[in-house]
Amino acid sequence: MERTTVQTKGSAGKNTVRLGAGAGYWGGEIEAPIKLAKEGHIDYLCFDQLAELTMSLLERQRLKNPEQGYIPDIIPHVEQLLPVMRDTGVKVITNGGGTNCIAAMNKALAIAKRQGHPGLKVAAILGDNVTDQIDPLIQQGWKFTNLDTGDDDIGQIRGSIVSAHAYVGADGIIEALSQGADLVIAGRVSDNALYVGPIMHEFGWTFEPEYVDRVGSAITVGHLVECAELVCGGMSNLWRVSKEPWNIGFPIAEVSADGSAVISKLPGSGGVINEWTVKEHLVYEVHDPSRYIMPDGVADLTAVRLQDLGGNLVRVSGGRGLRRPDTLKVQVGYMDGYIAEGIYLIGRPDVLAKARKAKEIYEGLLGRSGIVPLDIRFDRIGVDSISGGMFDDPDEADVRECGLRIAVRTRTREEALTAKSHLLRVTLYGPVGLGWGAPIAVRPVISLWPTLIPREAVSVSVKMGEAA
Amino acid sequence: MAHHSVPLYRIAITRSGDKGDVSNIGIIAFSPELYRVLKKTVTPQVVKDYFKDLVRGDVTIYPMDNIEALQVVMRQALGGGATKTLRFDQTGKSMSALIQSLEIPLEDSEMGLVPNRPPFET
Repeated sequence: MERTTVQTKGSAGKNTVRLGAGAGYWGGEIEAPIKLAKEGHIDYLCFDQLAELTMSLLERQRLKNPEQGYIPDIIPHVEQLLPVMRDTGVKVITNGGGTNCIAAMNKALAIAKRQGHPGLKVAAILGDNVTDQIDPLIQQGWKFTNLDTGDDDIGQIRGSIVSAHAYVGADGIIEALSQGADLVIAGRVSDNALYVGPIMHEFGWTFEPEYVDRVGSAITVGHLVECAELVCGGMSNLWRVSKEPWNIGFPIAEVSADGSAVISKLPGSGGVINEWTVKEHLVYEVHDPSRYIMPDGVADLTAVRLQDLGGNLVRVSGGRGLRRPDTLKVQVGYMDGYIAEGIYLIGRPDVLAKARKAKEIYEGLLGRSGIVPLDIRFDRIGVDSISGGMFDDPDEADVRECGLRIAVRTRTREEALTAKSHLLRVTLYGPVGLGWGAPIAVRPVISLWPTLIPREAVSVSVKMGEAA
Repeated sequence: MAHHSVPLYRIAITRSGDKGDVSNIGIIAFSPELYRVLKKTVTPQVVKDYFKDLVRGDVTIYPMDNIEALQVVMRQALGGGATKTLRFDQTGKSMSALIQSLEIPLEDSEMGLVPNRPPFET
């Protein structure tokens, strides 16, 4: 493929802005996004690397080492991206700053200095950590009601809280871009603010009422591409027709000033984009589709029109929206016990009977130690590990082999360690012919308490650094 | 009266995701006619009965007429949510596969709507 360095740099009054999706999760490859930056004629390359739990995991790392707390991948990524950014003018926006955007920014600036990119501007977006706002707001009478359970007594987990982060909107990204940032490192901005920010910046949109439908459109476009390859035939019902999935192309959104967009991928890349793959992602992780609530607005996904243009191009139009909500979603992460887990392999004959015996032995071992688990689960892999109690067991004679997975959650680490040591004994005290490996290491559980916080309690700010 | 049935995967595609302990499945019909069949037959009670102990809370179904899809939202459906669940499939990505075996009742007159192959494979 022809490499190009032609670039339509973002400027006021332009007709379209092109955004590439570089990642939809922590651990994604860097080759596909680099290719997008080099060949995609894109203005922005955006990386979403945070799942619901990630901020609490990163906060635990930062508490152990104040230089950590960002997604470690972004350092090698920045190493590879900076030369391409210089050649193409592509700007990069990531939420991989996690709970330590400043440390990530300083690392990026050091890389820029070493590689020789003087004047490169790196922005850190701050303000999403609301851990310290919890107590004052409780005292003012704010109820941090659990959105999943309806429980409004956050006091019961107060002593176990690891961190609380608000899903902030595009404000900080817009501010950073208006100050000339080349690389924006954010923490818990909403996934699609990574896209809404540059779109609003390029077209000069604001949160005033006249722009709500266009911001709603931007939210829709961000939603469609924020998981990167998942709109391109990844994780897809179209797996039979997706071409060369190992070379899957990451998506590009070309957004017009009216909010409509065309979703595409690089010519010659693998995967597939058509009306079906876009529909697949339009429904992904959405609850009420007429009110898709984001910090930047409320998008109506039932108003969206899709037009399959052929050739891996789909036009998205008709987006609508409502003004942004007065509250922001917060994920409060809190310590909630420990999990021990192990897997056995059971061969014929009498596969299901041996699994039953193993369960009986394990329950006996826990009982002997006086452990009453918070939760326990026995999965027969190949029989019911994903379907639970949905279906009747097959006839014993029809089962060639199965895996038996035992998972147990306890209050204390000590109980979990004992539970783990008993996992080995199931094989040694039990039926013939159970294969096994070492049980997985005991892991702490961070549970999430999803809730809301008043928008005015969260103040987003931008810290700008410039490479020497 | 329904005289026939086909598994869901013969008439629609699905994708599931998670937010906390809430699992959602988008069910996308292969045609406007089949979307009408889905709206009529895939009810919250049908979904809850089908998943048995996997879904412990309420089920809500939202129509998306614009893309001929149903959005099925199931609460208390992931064993407490991805971070604490003991389910092997922590995020419920397999919920989309499980629902594809749901038998959809069809009238005699509706059997002709069922394609031999999905529209994207023809």
